[in-house]
Amino acid sequence: MIFKCKNCGGNTVYSPERKKMYCPYCDSESSEEKQVYETSELTVCPNCGGEVKVFEHTSATQCPYCDNYLIFDERVEGEYLPKMILPFQMGKEVCKNAIREKFKKCLFAPTDFLSEVRLNGMIGTYVPFWLYDYDAVNDFEGEGTKVRTWRSGNTEYREVSYYAVHRNMSVDFRRIPVDASVQMPDEIMDLLEPFGYNQMEEFKPEYMSGFYGEKYNMPADVVEERAKKKMKDDISQMMQAQCSGYSSLRTIRNDVQVNHAEQNYALLPVWKYDYQYNGKDYPFYVNGQTGKIVGSAPISTKKVLVYGGTLWACLTILMASVSALLKVL
Amino acid sequence: MAMDQEIKAEARRQYFKYFRVWLIATAILLVAAIVATAVKYISRPAGRGNTSAPAERVYDFADVLTDEEEKELRAYIAECEEKAKIDIVIVTTNEPFGLVESEKFNVMMNYADDFWDERMYGYNRAYGDGALLLDNWYKDEQGSQMGTWLSTSGKMESIVGAYEEDQILDAMYAYIEQDAYKAYRAAVKQLAYWGAADERENPGLPLGAIVFLPLVIAAVYIVVHLRQAPAKDTTAATAYVAGGKPIMKEKTDTFLRKSVTKRRIETSSGGGGGGGSHSGGGSGGHHTSSGGHSHGGGGRSR
Repeated sequence: MIFKCKNCGGNTVYSPERKKMYCPYCDSESSEEKQVYETSELTVCPNCGGEVKVFEHTSATQCPYCDNYLIFDERVEGEYLPKMILPFQMGKEVCKNAIREKFKKCLFAPTDFLSEVRLNGMIGTYVPFWLYDYDAVNDFEGEGTKVRTWRSGNTEYREVSYYAVHRNMSVDFRRIPVDASVQMPDEIMDLLEPFGYNQMEEFKPEYMSGFYGEKYNMPADVVEERAKKKMKDDISQMMQAQCSGYSSLRTIRNDVQVNHAEQNYALLPVWKYDYQYNGKDYPFYVNGQTGKIVGSAPISTKKVLVYGGTLWACLTILMASVSALLKVL
Repeated sequence: MAMDQEIKAEARRQYFKYFRVWLIATAILLVAAIVATAVKYISRPAGRGNTSAPAERVYDFADVLTDEEEKELRAYIAECEEKAKIDIVIVTTNEPFGLVESEKFNVMMNYADDFWDERMYGYNRAYGDGALLLDNWYKDEQGSQMGTWLSTSGKMESIVGAYEEDQILDAMYAYIEQDAYKAYRAAVKQLAYWGAADERENPGLPLGAIVFLPLVIAAVYIVVHLRQAPAKDTTAATAYVAGGKPIMKEKTDTFLRKSVTKRRIETSSGGGGGGGSHSGGGSGGHHTSSGGHSHGGGGRSR
């Protein structure tokens, strides 16, 4: 499907700034009209007939010839219909500025790393996620110690008190996110968190117009272990916070029981900036809602040598000049 | 290709923008150092500028030196004068300048200043740079009027203060009772040393600092700028918990037992020491001679 402007026929897209669809050609707002094309060939643009690069799991992309954003119906419907979508809250310009701000002090990054041309190449992608709900109960038994020391004359006393610690805690997790994409690196997706679900919407394909997208390509049961691990880590942290005040705590029993589990399919927004330097890829990911950036800038060895060498030469000449002036003045 | 050129141009622009203050400061200091060094070497005096003064430097009116000693002292003075760019004159007398110390030094000061002025001593010009050492050997049944007056002129007036005067007279008085020649030679050596103070160059910054300090700073600069803060896990444990916190159903802490251990604390004590003191003295002052020329100096009795 393609969303066309009723007024001028241009391709309407979702604007994170306006929070609505608009036409970049005639600037009309909410003028979109869904056009569904009957075609068996995904790699042919239904608008211009140009060849489009479509991967196995691509659900939305842009035609390189007519620039129209294409959304593949069969990959956002039926079993691939997301229940929820978190629309992009940051547009490309805001995202570019966020990257510039984060890496502006990275002196030894290649010169074109933050250039307009390179940053314009970044794309917004809706990444498939499974969101897990768990109603969990954590029952903990342990032995805690509290230590008190005091002095009397030349003698130091150390008193250790032992306590039986019992905690029973009920935790209802909602929407623990785990990406369902083979392409996206798990540790990077985890670092992009947290996502704020107060801006989550019921899925509408309009939100995808203007962006790239993927359908889930990892089933919920395959990636669930990651969700469970996150849940257990979080429970452990919360339990530790509940058992504070002890000098030491020995675990006797720590049971985590999950009473109810549920998962939903959702699309979450991620900006991606791919930078190549010296034949190596440097991918940068930006949370399309919060602007959190994950990625390390490449280092230009030439820049390190030139900048370090200049500083060294300046300092040496400065000190030699000061020394010469001290001698003659 | 055009993009590569643009990137290179941008890299140059960024480089010069970043280092502009450093490059300008370095260039200014470098030029200043070159100019100052050149000016110093160009303006350095070529040699003796005074032709009015007599060649004689040793006036042994008290006759405490042998002819041979006088000859050697003259040669030594000539050598020192070239190094320090000052005139050095030794005058020995056997005159009753006075028994009262203040009166004696006043007379000696006038005698020394006039002696210098009348003969128009001075290395660079008449009444210019140099010093005259007046040493009196007079002694009769009423008492000793022996003593020394050091009259300074030109740059020596500003160089020789109380400390320098003490150094010169201490060196001289170490031998004066036993060997007048040795004593005057020691005084001449000291006068030449202090006279050459402005000729001696400030050593400037140590070579090690000039070589190694910039290396260390540049290395630290590179390391600091190579560091990048990695992305952190900013997800709170309760980020995905309904209601923002867990529900505590049971929270009990039951006291079981306690144990007490004790240990003896070892203490130690210490003390400190004291110091001493020493004292010293000296004299000096600036004045204008009867001839209207500025002199400095001071004296010592023996």
